[in-house]
Amino acid sequence: MSIFQRSPGESLAEDRRVQALGVVAVLALAVVPFTTTDSLTGLILTGLVFVMLGVSWNLLAGYAGQISLGHAAFFGMGAFVSAWLTTPAAAGFPESIQLPILAAVVVGGVTAALISLVIGPIIFRLSGHYFAIGTLALAAVIELVMLDRRDLTGGATGYYVSGDLSIGEAVSHGDTMFFLTLIATIITVAATYVIVRGPAGLGMKAIHDDEDAASSLGVNPLKYKMYAFVVSSFFAGIAGALYGHYTLYINAQSTLAVTWTIDSLVIVILGGMGTFAGPFFGAALFLLLDNGLSAIVGGFSSAVEGILIILFIIFLPTGLYGLIKDYLVEETTDTDAATE
Amino acid sequence: MVASDLLTQSVVNGLLLGGIYALAALGLSLVFGIMDIVNLAHGHMLMVGAYVAILVFTATGITPLVGMLLAMALMFGLGVLLQKVLLKHVVDEGLEQPIIVLFGLALVLQNLGRVILGGDARTADIGIPGNGFDIGIAFMSFPRTVTFVVAVLLIVATWAFLQYTKTGQAIRATAQNRTAAKYMGIDTDQIYVITLGIGTALAGAAGALLSMLFPIDPYVGWSYLLKTFAVVVLGGVGSVVGTLVGGLVLGVSENLGALYLGGGYRNVVSLLIFLGVLLVKPEGLFGSSGGGE
Repeated sequence: MSIFQRSPGESLAEDRRVQALGVVAVLALAVVPFTTTDSLTGLILTGLVFVMLGVSWNLLAGYAGQISLGHAAFFGMGAFVSAWLTTPAAAGFPESIQLPILAAVVVGGVTAALISLVIGPIIFRLSGHYFAIGTLALAAVIELVMLDRRDLTGGATGYYVSGDLSIGEAVSHGDTMFFLTLIATIITVAATYVIVRGPAGLGMKAIHDDEDAASSLGVNPLKYKMYAFVVSSFFAGIAGALYGHYTLYINAQSTLAVTWTIDSLVIVILGGMGTFAGPFFGAALFLLLDNGLSAIVGGFSSAVEGILIILFIIFLPTGLYGLIKDYLVEETTDTDAATE
Repeated sequence: MVASDLLTQSVVNGLLLGGIYALAALGLSLVFGIMDIVNLAHGHMLMVGAYVAILVFTATGITPLVGMLLAMALMFGLGVLLQKVLLKHVVDEGLEQPIIVLFGLALVLQNLGRVILGGDARTADIGIPGNGFDIGIAFMSFPRTVTFVVAVLLIVATWAFLQYTKTGQAIRATAQNRTAAKYMGIDTDQIYVITLGIGTALAGAAGALLSMLFPIDPYVGWSYLLKTFAVVVLGGVGSVVGTLVGGLVLGVSENLGALYLGGGYRNVVSLLIFLGVLLVKPEGLFGSSGGGE
């Protein structure tokens, strides 16, 4: 195991080999649309969306320690706002506000971030269990209101989003969306990396470990919670907007469903909460589970997911990443915020 | 403008429904107050209790009130098992692990409900036939009245248990100060087991009662979790009287919300009340904060 020896304090993600692995992974992903079938491309695109959801939820929950159960709201609002902009007529908006998909996706993410900016100072008056349930309730309110506003959302039947980014015969709309999603995923990962390695990441870990102690040392808890919340919501919104324009169909019942929160949570728990690389492993495993499991256990796949997160959080709180790291490196490092 | 008889009828129905909400919330409040855990699977346990009553009724024709007792016994067992097998590893170990364990359990229960019983809504609403009666200002439907009375009886029974039995006193002592209770010779691990058992049994009872009024499907768990937590927040953690009042307030405001804003806003009203109280007065309208910070 000598080639994997490293000095304590050096984390796996800082390793050159891992960076090289990242480049290889991106290159491998970049050829996916040209080498595989449309359905496999779609599957991997979904995996990228899962990575974005996982990475963004992990920033808020794993690093800043704020267990939000409302992530789906930001995913869904990103999807809806961008869909209103690319397909204004379907929601009764004037054609003049129509934007190209790329711009609409960005506006979707920005809107999700703005929503979090407005509700953050209010919802962060709650902490712990109250915060978790408060965010769950908030997401439920948003879902119910959107479901009721049939004029804006199409109600339970939803509506089709228009958009065609195909380039000639060779590159289909799905392929283009795949590249956009890949780029967005890279940006999400890079931005999160910079944040958690920087002073803001330290602040988040400090309030996660002991909010009172951090506060008495001059760390403003609200500032770092808001930082994590807004960034996390922004990327969740982008993920929703991209996914909505890949499927070209949105529906308040599914786009804003608690499922997206569950998925984010499962991905992060399986991968390793509060570890940077965790959500990648988690998203890969979740993608396999989500698609492979139904073949093995039939309709019981979400029960199996539930059992897995229970077992992981009790017996393996550092997730798959922790397992792999323990296997590769003897010394454990403390650069990642632990889950405990 | 809504006619005044419709208004009083809404209020009366809301009060009757609120009794069941209070019963469901009492279980959640008990567990929260004593173990400092929000049972995120509470709504799903309620759903399971409802299905037990529905299945017993449709299979045998036995009144769902008997099914309710069976549901309570089963859910007590589930709660005991849950604490002994899973939660004992994570209780008192910070915030994240219990939340996620119970979230996972909610997923499991919802999935099992959907696969085993199908996604369609079911009900045992013809389980307690009987004629309602008029009290002048409003009509008292028979099932609503019966379920309300049973719910209130169960709340009183739980209160008396906590107040007057030795186990009840030990539970309250543990809620006040776990370490001190331990020094006094109370087996606090056992108290946790009993508490979770009671908490889930009450969820099962409330579910069974609701199944006699409304259709239940496997997805109702989240919505009832939020409703019951709203009652806990309204009433204050650990206050039996507060929980009862909170339940009645929620039941009435939901019905009024549905009356004035339309049925689609029934749940929105309760959630907004919940968020409002949580933000303005997090310790609840009654009682003191039960922790969770």
